[in-house]
Amino acid sequence: MSSLKLNETPVRTSRNFNINNIKLENIDLPNKIKKFQNVIINKESQKDLIYDNIHDFEIKYGLGIEKYIKENSNSKIKLNVITKTTKDILIEYKFDENNINLLENIEIVLDENTKSNIIIKYDSDKEVKAFHAGIIKVFAKPNSVSNITIVNLLNQNSNNFISIDNEINENADIKYTIIDFGGQNSITNYYSNLIGDNSNNIINGIYLGTNKQLFDLNYIAELRGKKTNVNIEVQGALKDEAKKHFKGTIDFKRGSKKAKGNENENCMLLSNSARSLALPMLLCSEEDVEGNHSTSSGKAGEKELFYIMSRGFSEKEALKLLVRAKFNSILETIKNVELKNRLIYEIESRLD
Amino acid sequence: MAKTQLDEINRNIYDIKNKDNYDYKIKKGLTKEIIEEISKQKNDPDWMREFRLKALEVYNSLALPTWGPDLSELNMDEIATYVRPKSKLNSSWDDVPEDIKNTFDKLGIPEAEKKSLAGVGAQYDSEVVYHSMREELIKQGVIYTDMETALRDYEDIVKKHFMKCVPVNDHKFVALHGAVWSGGSFVYVPKGVKVDIPLQSYFRLNSPESGQFEHTLIIVEEGASLHFIEGCSAPKYNKVNLHAGCVELYVKDNAYLRYSTIENWSKNMLNLNTKKAIVGKNAKMDWVSGSFGSKISMLYPMSILNGENAKTEFTGISFAGGGQNLDNGFKAIHNAQNTSSVVNAKSISKNGGKCTYRSLIRINENAKNSKSSVSCESLMLDDISVSDTIPTNDIRTDEVEFSHEAKIGKISDKAIFYLMTRGLSEEDALGLIVRGFAYPISKELPIEYAAEMNNLINLELEGAIG
Repeated sequence: MSSLKLNETPVRTSRNFNINNIKLENIDLPNKIKKFQNVIINKESQKDLIYDNIHDFEIKYGLGIEKYIKENSNSKIKLNVITKTTKDILIEYKFDENNINLLENIEIVLDENTKSNIIIKYDSDKEVKAFHAGIIKVFAKPNSVSNITIVNLLNQNSNNFISIDNEINENADIKYTIIDFGGQNSITNYYSNLIGDNSNNIINGIYLGTNKQLFDLNYIAELRGKKTNVNIEVQGALKDEAKKHFKGTIDFKRGSKKAKGNENENCMLLSNSARSLALPMLLCSEEDVEGNHSTSSGKAGEKELFYIMSRGFSEKEALKLLVRAKFNSILETIKNVELKNRLIYEIESRLD
Repeated sequence: MAKTQLDEINRNIYDIKNKDNYDYKIKKGLTKEIIEEISKQKNDPDWMREFRLKALEVYNSLALPTWGPDLSELNMDEIATYVRPKSKLNSSWDDVPEDIKNTFDKLGIPEAEKKSLAGVGAQYDSEVVYHSMREELIKQGVIYTDMETALRDYEDIVKKHFMKCVPVNDHKFVALHGAVWSGGSFVYVPKGVKVDIPLQSYFRLNSPESGQFEHTLIIVEEGASLHFIEGCSAPKYNKVNLHAGCVELYVKDNAYLRYSTIENWSKNMLNLNTKKAIVGKNAKMDWVSGSFGSKISMLYPMSILNGENAKTEFTGISFAGGGQNLDNGFKAIHNAQNTSSVVNAKSISKNGGKCTYRSLIRINENAKNSKSSVSCESLMLDDISVSDTIPTNDIRTDEVEFSHEAKIGKISDKAIFYLMTRGLSEEDALGLIVRGFAYPISKELPIEYAAEMNNLINLELEGAIG
């Protein structure tokens, strides 16, 4: 059992605020684990390449356990997108009693002028106590366009750690949708280096916490190229004694002239024991930029609840509708109907 | 359009240096013997001497902060923590020694006292040299005096409140303050008394390689009200000076306190100040803060809203030029139902200066139906400066309305162009926009101070277009 200190913010603030990092006790970091067998890789284009020898890339920020993940990895996938396709490339990991530990290392190379939709999904049987720690490294070459959806549907006995690191070059346009529903502890580090002029990165995130779930989300975007754009939109709901730490950083580096960065995080509190901690940072070393951030927290609207209930819904059903409505603007951007329906089902069942 | 270029602030009034003509200056450094000597020089009661020694132990046990500006240049072995000027405490300016009086004259303090203040305290290095208050307030039972007198004449009240609002183990520089404090003001406003005209304390540090550690203790009793203004400045020296003051404010039920600060320390000053208010039921605490000086500033006033319906507002501006790192902000802790906090923070960075807004809003489990609204705006006037916003929002109850928003950017070329088409010069257009940006803060200040702030901004912008 280890005591872990993870997910450091790029800039520290007072230690008394309890947000510079997350400390977890009694986490068992597995080693000498067998190959993860239950992975489905489904790609539409025969030309896009998938193989398992990835090179040792750098992770700038990360969770703090990347070395451990690399050394003990039991699933390595390199995906090289060389075509323009509108169909989904799906990588699905399913935890079961024979596959309880996953330390995966995924490298995605989006070649110049390519288009892709990539879904990476983590799912588990109800009872299994899964451990997942993964690295996803994305190289977006000039003019590449990609929608990347990451879905965490693990059960609440599990632990989930994801480290995402992107290098985004000229005119590349990368949109992420990150769905975070699962895990007793779900810790995400997301970093984008917008190095190329006119590069664009949209991050849409949803989290839904119930019982004693803990989410620690550390989203960092560094804008280096001219006319770069970042938009972070995170919507969440917390029930019971769930906790969320949202750390979002938009960092305008010197030279990122005409860059724009927007960040919005909104947390709906569904119980008096839920806790929302947020640190939305704007760091700026360039004059000619526009940066905005906003965060808000509050209870589900009483008027809205009353209105829905006056139409014959129970309070529980009315709350579910409100949470779905809150997530809807992000859910609507998911084109994969099967996945979208599964997420709606998960929202309903997790709020039961 | 020509690039906007801003010059450094004209500090000629503030940079007047007097000869380091002290009555007593303690040797540099921070040891038990030095603390005991300060205590002896000040005729402390035993409990205060013991308190100082305990604070020194706490100071030695705490590490420097692992966040914020780099403080590695601070060497306490090079700082004299107590400098007694060649003046006793006076109640007439005529009795204040000529060189010290001249300094305060040039800073406009006696003039402001005549025009717009109900009372004035003036501290020079480590001790208060002048204190006076209007007769009618004395008759109403208002006490406004220096901390040494308060410790002697109102020992029970001081003992009950001294470093209870700001505990000595809060952080390293509070512990330092507890060990070496001297000077500062004590204000007591009795129940129901409304002090309509502001009181002002002005803190001037003249001695090189020294520190100022004044303690301000204000108690506003039930239903009473007060506006207190604090000003501070120092001439520039080559070596580091240190300011680690402490402000403790007790705003009792139904009371009101406004605490305004115009801080214009010299650019060799490390300003590591601590300010905290405990706010009672239906009471209101307002902070107005203008931060212009210092090499490094770490200042985060805090309101602890302990009573139901307690309210607080923070309105602040920081203006950082070359070589300055101003890490300022605000903290509000909501500990009771129906409490509210409103924050409006602005910053301007230029000539390579760095402004950071750092804050904490914590709404605790028992603070149901509380509201908090935070807004920060940062203006960058060139591409070599830095502006960071680092707010922490900790919400622990669902019965709450919380929102935070921040903006960062430059003055729009379109806005300057528009004003120029209306006949303004580029310089005037820029000045108008910057003063407009600062207006929400300057409008909260008494008119003389708002004028001073606008003058400071104008001085900064003179010859700014090139």
